[in-house]
Amino acid sequence: MIGEFLDYAINGALIGLLYALVAMGFVVIYRASKVFNFAQGELVVVGGFIVWWLTLGMGLPWYFAIPLAFLLAAIVGYVIERLFFSKLVGESVFSMVMVTIGLLILIRGIVLVVFGAQVRPFPTIFPLKPIIIGDVLIPQSLLYGGILAVIIALALSWFFNQTRTGLKMTASAEDHQVALSMGISVRMSIAAAWVMGSVISTIGAIIFLSGKSLTFLASEIGFIALPVALLAGLESIGGLILAGIIMGVVQGLAEGYLDPIVGGSVGSILPFFIMVFILFVRPTGLFGWKTIERV
Amino acid sequence: MLLKVNNVEVIYNDVILVLKGVNMTMEEGSCIALLGANGAGKTTTLAAISGIIKSEDGKVTSGSIEFDGQRVDNQSVESNVARGLIHVMEGRKVLQHMTVEKNLIVGGHVLKSGAEVKQRIENVYTLIPRLAELRKRTAGYLSGGEQQMLVIGRALMANPRLILIDEPSLGLAPLMVEEVFKILKELRKSGISLFIVEQNTQAALEVADYGYVMENGRIVMDGEADQLMKNEDVREFYLGLNMEGERKSYRDVKHYKRRKRWLG
Repeated sequence: MIGEFLDYAINGALIGLLYALVAMGFVVIYRASKVFNFAQGELVVVGGFIVWWLTLGMGLPWYFAIPLAFLLAAIVGYVIERLFFSKLVGESVFSMVMVTIGLLILIRGIVLVVFGAQVRPFPTIFPLKPIIIGDVLIPQSLLYGGILAVIIALALSWFFNQTRTGLKMTASAEDHQVALSMGISVRMSIAAAWVMGSVISTIGAIIFLSGKSLTFLASEIGFIALPVALLAGLESIGGLILAGIIMGVVQGLAEGYLDPIVGGSVGSILPFFIMVFILFVRPTGLFGWKTIERV
Repeated sequence: MLLKVNNVEVIYNDVILVLKGVNMTMEEGSCIALLGANGAGKTTTLAAISGIIKSEDGKVTSGSIEFDGQRVDNQSVESNVARGLIHVMEGRKVLQHMTVEKNLIVGGHVLKSGAEVKQRIENVYTLIPRLAELRKRTAGYLSGGEQQMLVIGRALMANPRLILIDEPSLGLAPLMVEEVFKILKELRKSGISLFIVEQNTQAALEVADYGYVMENGRIVMDGEADQLMKNEDVREFYLGLNMEGERKSYRDVKHYKRRKRWLG
């Protein structure tokens, strides 16, 4: 009984950390540009296809292919920002969000045209054999992914809060006009955020898809990560870890205990219920920036 | 000549003509005050000089702006800041969610090394000791006066030669206004040039060497600060005083404002 509970909870928490990792892409881009990127899941798919193409397509060893994949993903992020968003600085949030929806459709189309709709095997980057602790079975990809998510969150928090470059990007996130008045290149900050968001998505793709199959449908993880980003607050990177664990555990327990009773799907929709609830009671999430108003 | 604004016209959104042939000059180490009512074009003048106007859908359509002999009217804000031309925007625009110290660190992003940033922060704390006491506080929760001190301190971090400061006394209690202008006087002593846009005419002219009065996008009067202070129109229009130095009643001043136009 306890073993079963721990199995659901621990695996849920690790899956939640994977969502948190994908949500980091959302947050990094949102912080810099105030753009909520609905095409984040598509960036995961693009990262996945780049890794697949370099490893199984080109036959490169993974230790060479993965850094190269990060480089290519960075270029993709930079090109997207230059083509679609650099001219939109100062435009309404609505315009920007509509562009991200257009981007979502465009990337899906390009992926289908270039790679086709067939299911492709994704290389096994992490060992398939699960780690067994008592009654708990932990897939190694999830375990390493969870550890990596925590490390990346800590590294990004440090970067944005302690380094001069990170603080410049945080200043751009706070107020484009003020950052500009200080001589900070807001455009470069936004471009850097898209580069980082694309690379993070590729890391997410590697963990999420390792040993599984790859199609454009993998982009769904972007939407599953959405409630995690909103629960944490769209400016908080450290908060994503806690939010990811909360969402993952809730989802894991719901799938384990409620789905068999009601016939399924509770685990899938519960995070979205929580998302709607959070938007009602605390729109800035657990750790997001609250508007400070002087009265 | 540190700054030369030569017959500048500014248009917003390709339609609205805001500045109409503005001319100004200032020497290195001096302080000038730009006075005028709301909507006269004072903030636009600062935005045109710093280059921030481009991000507000405005542009300098004729004339030129030179800083230290180089044209800056078509340059980016980044390059102007690198030259030492810093714009402190109206409304105490602190980075709300950062601490005081991090605001200062960001302000010093043009400096080459971390050691230089630290040194400069200590200089700012020496000049504005209140900021040292507040260094760990979140900037959004500071009082209005403290936020104004912070944005001035942040401008100092960028090693400025000229600070363009917009309405430093806006919305502050009289004691805080005094504090802020005391800091501005200290800056002058340290050799930094100041360009102050202000509606608090008395306070601005006490710091400045020279003043310009703007109305409807034109400079309608200029002169030495002490001369402007004695000028009948300035006294009546901006200070609400008559020639005997007595304060006029609000009703009289209001009537006067309706009646009097500088170029009428």
